[in-house]
Amino acid sequence: MDDIPGRIIENINVAPGYFRLVIRLERPLGKASPGQFVMLKIPGEEVFLRRPFSIFGSRGKTLVVMYRVAGKGTGCLSQALKKSPVMVLGPLGRGFTIKKRDAYLVVAGGIGFAGTRMLLEKLGEKATLFFGVGAKEELSVAEDLSGICVHVSTLDGSRGFRGDVVSLLGQHLDACRQKDMEVFACGPAGMVKSLRALLESGHIPCQVSVEERMACGMGLCFGCVVATNDEINPFKRVCKEGPVFSIWDLSL
Amino acid sequence: MGPLAVELFGKKFKNPVMNASGTLGYAVEIEPLWGVETMGACVTKGLSALAHHGNPVPRVWEERHGMINSIGLQNVGVERFFSDHFPFFVEKNTPIIVNFFGFSEDEYLSCAEKIRPHELIAALEMNLSCPNIKKGGISFGKEASTVYSMVRSVKGITDIPLIAKLTPEVKNLTEIAIAAYEAGADGLTLINTLPAAAVDVKKRNVPLKGGLSGPILRPVALRAVHECSKAVPIPIIGVGGIMDAQDALAFFMAGASAVQVGTATFVDPFAIPKIIAGMEAWLVSAGLDSIRAITGVTHE
Repeated sequence: MDDIPGRIIENINVAPGYFRLVIRLERPLGKASPGQFVMLKIPGEEVFLRRPFSIFGSRGKTLVVMYRVAGKGTGCLSQALKKSPVMVLGPLGRGFTIKKRDAYLVVAGGIGFAGTRMLLEKLGEKATLFFGVGAKEELSVAEDLSGICVHVSTLDGSRGFRGDVVSLLGQHLDACRQKDMEVFACGPAGMVKSLRALLESGHIPCQVSVEERMACGMGLCFGCVVATNDEINPFKRVCKEGPVFSIWDLSL
Repeated sequence: MGPLAVELFGKKFKNPVMNASGTLGYAVEIEPLWGVETMGACVTKGLSALAHHGNPVPRVWEERHGMINSIGLQNVGVERFFSDHFPFFVEKNTPIIVNFFGFSEDEYLSCAEKIRPHELIAALEMNLSCPNIKKGGISFGKEASTVYSMVRSVKGITDIPLIAKLTPEVKNLTEIAIAAYEAGADGLTLINTLPAAAVDVKKRNVPLKGGLSGPILRPVALRAVHECSKAVPIPIIGVGGIMDAQDALAFFMAGASAVQVGTATFVDPFAIPKIIAGMEAWLVSAGLDSIRAITGVTHE
């Protein structure tokens, strides 16, 4: 873990509401595992606290973040110009644990794709991606996935399966039932809930990356907790014990 | 010992800078970035006789120049703190100030009773901002008479120096400070967060009510320190929105003998070591050999 100064070298609108941010760091980010994140100091004085972002890609002194404009922080970030200074704290949190399996099903909802990008890179051809978005324009956030089998859903039916990504997964799940498989997921709370309902009967292992409002990003403030089934200590820190949890440990 | 060394509660500290309670986890979390021994003392997360799970989310909300938190005093309980977390401070040979709370007088007493004297326990810091369940949820820190009796009760069962941490949301803070002093408090921490609410305009609701912290609070804290330090002869630890060394120096000039840094660490995780280094550099450039030279310098 390190807090590294850097400068924005690219901040482009890749799809409606989605931005790809490339940062040149003064020194390389420590080795990041899939599912880890960084806390980013947004340029300017307007945004007080740092914001958490999944590591989309990291190589040498170059860090790539994919984000969707959702509030004040990401709104300000989307206005940041090239060469703006930033601070990057990371890599943070506990990412996905990859065990040897026959098949890996990766489920990404919208900007949740950013939380699975490094995982897909690592799993390569063994992964099947189920990617759900609102409309086909958003699919451009998931370019260059060579060698990975991709199934797409759109809520408006403009491409692939019409509906949500968990329903899409449901259609393919039976074909995999006999295999030793694991599901990895990142997406909105509603997606996580319906995913658990889908997987409940089969006792299928599933790790999910959870999102919550954060202040510090490194376990100092206990602001970003998620409720788990642990009776002694139910509230776990998303930034420290997570952001990846077994879906079966969560109290949804 | 450098120019920042101070003596408080009969103990020597290498500098008068600490973290605010609850803003450094159990302290081991900051280790990847800097050592907890950098600080004169480390203030623990608020501890209680029994563990507390804390509040549901959202627990934090950003404001311009500050934040609101409603963590709900999540902690492992005082006994597990000493079995699981205290050995870390022994290993780091770092003095601690044990922050503690309760929702009744009995809870305060049974927590304080479980904290045995130890050379590394510099003081207890009693959080008096908690709601008193028996008095309909009114904070212990609101009435001078309650503060007096609570401080006196805890003083009666512990030999460890006792600091009272006070809420600023009172009619007359000086009166409360005097009550704590007269009850035997060895020091005061001023101030706790201010009660605040957030409104989510998009969702048209109040996502949380909690404590306001950050630089937005600093002038309020400075006034509290300035007025109370003139009223009582015990050391005051200033806390509220300190972001850099200049902010910290202002608290000493207002009358503080030490400072705590909280929210700044979330913005810049190196805020505390930077403040310590910045204060030392300022003293050297001002030709002063001790921080004591500026303590209370604004008092007429």
